[in-house]
Amino acid sequence: MKIHRAIPIAVLSVAGLVPLWQYEARPASTTEVAADVGVVPEAQTRTTSEPPTTSAQPGTGYGTPPTTTTSKAPATAAAKTVNGPVVDTPHGDVQVQVTFTGDKITGVKFLKAPNTGPTKSAVPTLVQETLKAGSAKVDSVSGATQTSEAYVQSLQAAIDAKGN
Amino acid sequence: MLTGVRRVEQVMGFPVSVDLRDGDDESVPAVDRAFAWLREVDLRFSPFIEDSEVSRFGRAELDPADLSDDLSQVIGLCDFYEESTGGAFTSWLPGRGFDPCAIVKGWAVQGAAAMLHDAGARRFCVNAGGDVVTFGESEPGVPWRVGVRHPEHSDQLCVVLSLRDGAVATSASYERGDHILDGRTGEPARGLLSITVVAGDLTTADAAATAAYAMGVEGIAWAAAQPGCEVFAVDSERRVFRTPGLPVAS
Repeated sequence: MKIHRAIPIAVLSVAGLVPLWQYEARPASTTEVAADVGVVPEAQTRTTSEPPTTSAQPGTGYGTPPTTTTSKAPATAAAKTVNGPVVDTPHGDVQVQVTFTGDKITGVKFLKAPNTGPTKSAVPTLVQETLKAGSAKVDSVSGATQTSEAYVQSLQAAIDAKGN
Repeated sequence: MLTGVRRVEQVMGFPVSVDLRDGDDESVPAVDRAFAWLREVDLRFSPFIEDSEVSRFGRAELDPADLSDDLSQVIGLCDFYEESTGGAFTSWLPGRGFDPCAIVKGWAVQGAAAMLHDAGARRFCVNAGGDVVTFGESEPGVPWRVGVRHPEHSDQLCVVLSLRDGAVATSASYERGDHILDGRTGEPARGLLSITVVAGDLTTADAAATAAYAMGVEGIAWAAAQPGCEVFAVDSERRVFRTPGLPVAS
């Protein structure tokens, strides 16, 4: 549906564009997958455009608070140019300029780009292991604990009850 | 003196635990605001509330020009992951209208964590229904230790992760049954017992874990290819596949 497609540009911040540069700068690579990873089909690289990260500042992991305003997708087709902030990445400072026309990005250019290219490949080799079970002292537990009934029985509840 | 602040509340249908290690009495208003934000999100973004923004958007009652910035962000994220997974992940299921819950959860909790950070908190952990955001360290020099629940034994862990400024989300069917559908077939997602994604923020980790689970086995490689994501997956044969960069605690 139309609205559905129009929105991503609204959230494609400079933070989301930095990896675009990283991806373009990277030569096309074929994924290397460990020979014993027999169950992973289509492991050849099928990626990757960048997620429209609304929250990440590269390198910090900090999110944008939800109260921060973001520009909305323009309803008309007037071209609009937006300069992103200078973002400090492990590869150097990056700043992009994005041109929107209506609901499409019609241009992206780098106002600042680092000198060295990234080396990270698109899909790492996966490691296969056997499933372990055990206990350990932890600060928090990740798992699908979406109901209060399950929470009551969960390790996380025990952690919360115990306090520091 | 920093005594720490801990609070657990049921919000958005799941328990949310906040553990502020560098908190004290003065941190309480920020914790209040973070929970207030989550309750606000629940009212605005629940597809189960008839007059919520999300329900109205699903019924095409909102003018595109009138969408809130928050809803625009959520729709953009839903759209990205739907395209990126070839439709395995979808927020538009037949008969259910627009249901962005899978995206909203991580996004909202990341926002709550950012509010705590903006208020000055630097060492804290938020756990929302098993999705975890950490900032800083649990103690100076000591990273947060986040266990991943074993997919078959609720009282055991299958791996422990070591995190500083990172987020962890796990998607699985062991609790709510086959609640994640493969949007390509409309059938419950198959192939994985659970998949855990580590990323810099919970918006990415939660969305990637859910989307990968919907894809099934091929979701492992898909998630591993997402920028900044590390993966720990258990397939239905109980085999573990993980990325070499996964921050496993020693």
